[in-house]
Amino acid sequence: MFKIFKRRARIAIKRMQRNQNPFSFSPGKSPAQKWMLRRQRKERMFRRCGFGAILLSCVFLGALLWSVIGNGYTAFQRTEVLLTIDFSADVIGSDPETADYRLLMQNALRELFPEVTERREKFDLYALMSKSAYYKLREMILADPSLIGQRRNLWLPAASKVDMFMKRHAPDDDSALASYKLNAQQFIWIKKLVRDDRVRTVFNHIFFTGGDSQEPESAGIAGSFIGSLMSILVCIVVAFPLGVATAVYLEEFARKNWFTDLIEVNINNLAAVPSIIYGLLGLSVFINTLGMPRSSALVGGLTLALLILPVIVIASRNALRTVPRSIRFAAMAMGATPVQVALHHTVLYALPGIMTGFILSIARALGETSPLLMIGMVAFVTDIPRGITDPTTSLPVQIYLWANNPEAGFVENTAAAIIMLLAVLAAINVFAAWVRNRFEIKW
Amino acid sequence: MFDRIIKALLLIGTVISILVTVLIVLSVFSETVRFFTHVSPFSFFFGTEWSPQIAIRSDQAGSSGRFGAIPIFTGTAMIALIAMLVAIPLGLLAAIYLSVYASPAVRNGFKPVLEILAGIPTVVYGYFAIVAFSPILREAGGLIGLSIASESALVAGAVMGIMITPFVMSLSEDVISAVPKSLIYGSLAMGATPSETVYKIMVPAAMPGIIGAVLLGISRAIGETMIVVMAAGMSANLTANPLEAVTTATVQIVTLLTGDHEFDSPKTLAAFALGFTLLILTLLLNFIAQSFVKKYRERYV
Repeated sequence: MFKIFKRRARIAIKRMQRNQNPFSFSPGKSPAQKWMLRRQRKERMFRRCGFGAILLSCVFLGALLWSVIGNGYTAFQRTEVLLTIDFSADVIGSDPETADYRLLMQNALRELFPEVTERREKFDLYALMSKSAYYKLREMILADPSLIGQRRNLWLPAASKVDMFMKRHAPDDDSALASYKLNAQQFIWIKKLVRDDRVRTVFNHIFFTGGDSQEPESAGIAGSFIGSLMSILVCIVVAFPLGVATAVYLEEFARKNWFTDLIEVNINNLAAVPSIIYGLLGLSVFINTLGMPRSSALVGGLTLALLILPVIVIASRNALRTVPRSIRFAAMAMGATPVQVALHHTVLYALPGIMTGFILSIARALGETSPLLMIGMVAFVTDIPRGITDPTTSLPVQIYLWANNPEAGFVENTAAAIIMLLAVLAAINVFAAWVRNRFEIKW
Repeated sequence: MFDRIIKALLLIGTVISILVTVLIVLSVFSETVRFFTHVSPFSFFFGTEWSPQIAIRSDQAGSSGRFGAIPIFTGTAMIALIAMLVAIPLGLLAAIYLSVYASPAVRNGFKPVLEILAGIPTVVYGYFAIVAFSPILREAGGLIGLSIASESALVAGAVMGIMITPFVMSLSEDVISAVPKSLIYGSLAMGATPSETVYKIMVPAAMPGIIGAVLLGISRAIGETMIVVMAAGMSANLTANPLEAVTTATVQIVTLLTGDHEFDSPKTLAAFALGFTLLILTLLLNFIAQSFVKKYRERYV
């Protein structure tokens, strides 16, 4: 009995040493057949690897969008708490400019929760509301002093941690309290507020109308967005005429010689220079030599213009090249001068291609961050800029600034700002595709 | 008359565009020269200690700051290497799959994905690296008993690799699809399988172009700023361990130049020296890459 097993095992080991299936006792395949099978297996493996590479890129894109949208979608809403504010003349005193508006809100909170007396507990209670609520009360009084002495029911913004908790969890789910830095007592208060219908979630308009802020619940992208818009405007005004002029001159008028070859190599290389180097250029030329204001949209726009100039030149030259020579010959045969040939015919026909390349390079400039860090557009700016010389940030820089802040509310804001940036970029790209499909001439 | 004005305007535009190049090189170069009057080039390129903090009083210890850039160069190289380890296989395999195997429907379905990846601003990749990728990698490292620093070369390099993948892919797809069909059909007619045709005929034939694509990828990797600023470290570590934080030339430029500094201190000038080194390096890589691609084009196109 045992002997049979031993023999079988010996045969199996021998077969394994010869690289054969140890337990298959069917007659073997011929070497040629095995070779073919091996090649086919390799073929399948290779094909799967290729598909895997593509799939992996898709997974990365999916993960990226998922993490951005998953973190950011809640920032478009905010939580508000209904408080009965007593604008008593005693608290506000004689001068509404310097009055302690915190006290107004603290009184209202204590009215809701009269059992809170201990100092530590009071502190926790007041921490439920956002600091921006005081400013809101102050603005109300300054705008309308007749409110003094009245009682009003007001929806005021909750603190960021309460806001985050309310948006992401059911009000009776206490499993994740610690990650929002809320304690059990605060949780009980929140539950009571919810039971009394004193909590609501509304559209977060501050995110779209406010500037940067220390508190995540009152920070918005308006300042940086307008900064971006102004820089892009400066960039367009400078880069478009220069880029197209260069392309037209090089393609239509310049003679082919070593110098134009040099320029060609030059421009191709410029397109490969890391963007941060353009920031160094902007810093040393515009700010240190020409003395333009630091952190301004003007310097930002000029720097971005230098950055996309080579891209525009290359795209415009490619567009000009696609215009057939027959067009040029026909125009010349009708007696047009070289400038007329260029302006009335070639440039006109190449314009859709030039515009497409230009719009795409604007999209690139809009997403660029590092050169703007160099020229000081990373300052903490709470005001919305009014002119191109005001200090400002841009949307990608705002993303960078917020991303450095580990507070949960800012993680959310960062993701929401990214959603906005990606939406704008997508819109620009769709527009470029539309221009190409609608206007481009196929020769 | 009108013609002349137009022509003159166009010429002026061209001259300004050309001046930009000259300006870039001159401005960065002159600051670099000023830096080297403070710090000798030898100690910059071969020094192993980087601590540009300069003491307020001159009699304090270490008042002059140390500007040995070796840790920065090794850090840059390590992150670029990790990025290319991700980007080359992914980009090449994807390019080969799309140009050899994929049906037109599959190609049209997947190409936009890679174009979107290429169009996403780098600051978004940086955010992805610190918010999603780094925690996941640390968890995974913890499972197999590795402790990964929160700002590690691995995270920055891998995310940068993802960013460069579409770039390498589109460049190498161009060169692979430019391989003459006669070579491919010849190989297939001799009974080679498609994969054998790929690595015995197409890849060797397209090799100069692929090398060019890889070099351009490397040049992007060493010049990339936002991902490393956000996900790699700030302090210069001379280490070969990809799980630790390292710093890169671009990170140092950003840290040296953000905030208010007087413009003449060696600290700010050091940023220009690093920038100049970076500029020369990328131009060199670009030049070599272009000569490879040119050679390739002359051979087949």
